Amino acid sequence: MNTDREGRILPRWEGAAPLDVVIGVMAFLAALALGASLVAERMAEGWRAGLAAGLTVQILPPAEGASPQWEKEADSVVAVLSTTGGIAKAQALSDADTRKLVEPWLGAGALVKELPLPRLVDATVAPGAAVDLPLLVRRLKQAAPDAIVDDHARWIQRLQRAADTVMWTSWGVLGLIALATAAAVTFATRAGLAANQDIVALLHQMGARASFIADAFEWHYLASALSASATGAAAAGVLFVAAGSLQVMGVEPVPFLPLLTLSPAELAWLVAVPACSGLIALATARLSVLAALGRIY
Amino acid sequence: MLRFENVGMRYGAGAEVLRDVTFRLEPGSFTFLTGASGAGKTTLLKLMFLQEPPTRGLISLFGCDLATARRSQFPALRRRIGVVFQDFRLLNHLSAFDNVALPLRLAGRQREDYSHDVEELLGWVGLAERLHAKPATLSGGEQQRVAIARAVVARPDLLLADEPTGNVDADIAQRLVRLFEELNRLGTTVLIATHDRSLLDRTRAKEVRLVDGHLVEMRAQRP
Repeated sequence: MNTDREGRILPRWEGAAPLDVVIGVMAFLAALALGASLVAERMAEGWRAGLAAGLTVQILPPAEGASPQWEKEADSVVAVLSTTGGIAKAQALSDADTRKLVEPWLGAGALVKELPLPRLVDATVAPGAAVDLPLLVRRLKQAAPDAIVDDHARWIQRLQRAADTVMWTSWGVLGLIALATAAAVTFATRAGLAANQDIVALLHQMGARASFIADAFEWHYLASALSASATGAAAAGVLFVAAGSLQVMGVEPVPFLPLLTLSPAELAWLVAVPACSGLIALATARLSVLAALGRIY
Repeated sequence: MLRFENVGMRYGAGAEVLRDVTFRLEPGSFTFLTGASGAGKTTLLKLMFLQEPPTRGLISLFGCDLATARRSQFPALRRRIGVVFQDFRLLNHLSAFDNVALPLRLAGRQREDYSHDVEELLGWVGLAERLHAKPATLSGGEQQRVAIARAVVARPDLLLADEPTGNVDADIAQRLVRLFEELNRLGTTVLIATHDRSLLDRTRAKEVRLVDGHLVEMRAQRP
């Protein structure tokens, strides 16, 4: 219907360039927010999975120096854990390894060397397996009276709350930006329609059906919003790919924080931004034209 | 074809522009509508081509009472009317050819089907060399001829023209009147609003005149 050969019913770019820029920028921000939300969700899942997949057994040092009995308890704990259902692997950390763990907070001075540290046994839970914790605690108490089991429940709870907060915050920000993008697309479409009001009136006067006019407008604004928002989303995609390239270029990632890069599957989600923008423009154009036609005789 | 009974029209709370207008256009008739500036000729035409509803009275078009007709019937009624607007109302982003072809596109015809007709008509109104020119590059007279070609291209049942020769010289005006007469001979009912009395003198058409909002028959159509 609106081929170039026939001459388009609506002028292609008249007055639309600044609005296309607005749509493009909002789509860029929406795509960034969407990408950040995907990264945040992945990070939260990683935290949960990492903590839930393990448990730690501490064997507290005796009040006065190390004793042979205390040293043996670590081996007993490993033996108990190795025969516990759901535990894939159990390994006692050496004294040196334990001291390395506290080094970032307490340093490596002489004082730390004299500090009595517990022996740690790190156990990995098999994926999808459940460990009968009360039974394990009872067995460990018999094998090693000084052992304390830490199933990370306290940490998991806190981290889960933190992860949920990060995730919902990022989805909330995405929701707000999506709302602003939808408003920008709606505004741009309505402004375009207002600028072309005389064309609507003329076509109506010449006997064009409402559906013919609505079709002409909705396809026009769909194409316009699609091209502008696809440009914005593509720019955001390039940014995420570039963030991934930083590691390749030797920039070290920040500990505890994920890389702001997206996997190919996550990048594909960015297509949703122009798709939604296009649909909003299409629906706005159709409803606005039909409403405008309803107001004239 | 077209019947007005006691039609009145006012804009907002203003005075009535048209008062108790009663007349009918017979099928195949050729009528000139005259009157002083501001007499209400354009308003009367707007009622005829369904741009405005009357404030009171009855209008019947192609046998359809507009007061009781469904809105969904209006597009089909409008497609049977060709209108030459006083301000042309051409689409500036379309060429002369595409502007003229617009009513045919709205009727669902394909370019291959109407291309020859449109070119021939533009040739008839003296624009054979300006087929692809945009309205902005055309003179006032050329734009008026494109507007006339657009109004007649679909061979409407009713042609309404508001000052269709206001911007052209006498030769072109004569040529355009011949076009209207030719269309009339083919069965189109024609009504032309004009100030140009020389147009009336060259035809045998009926003349109705708007005086103080009332329509008065000044001259019957001559055989």
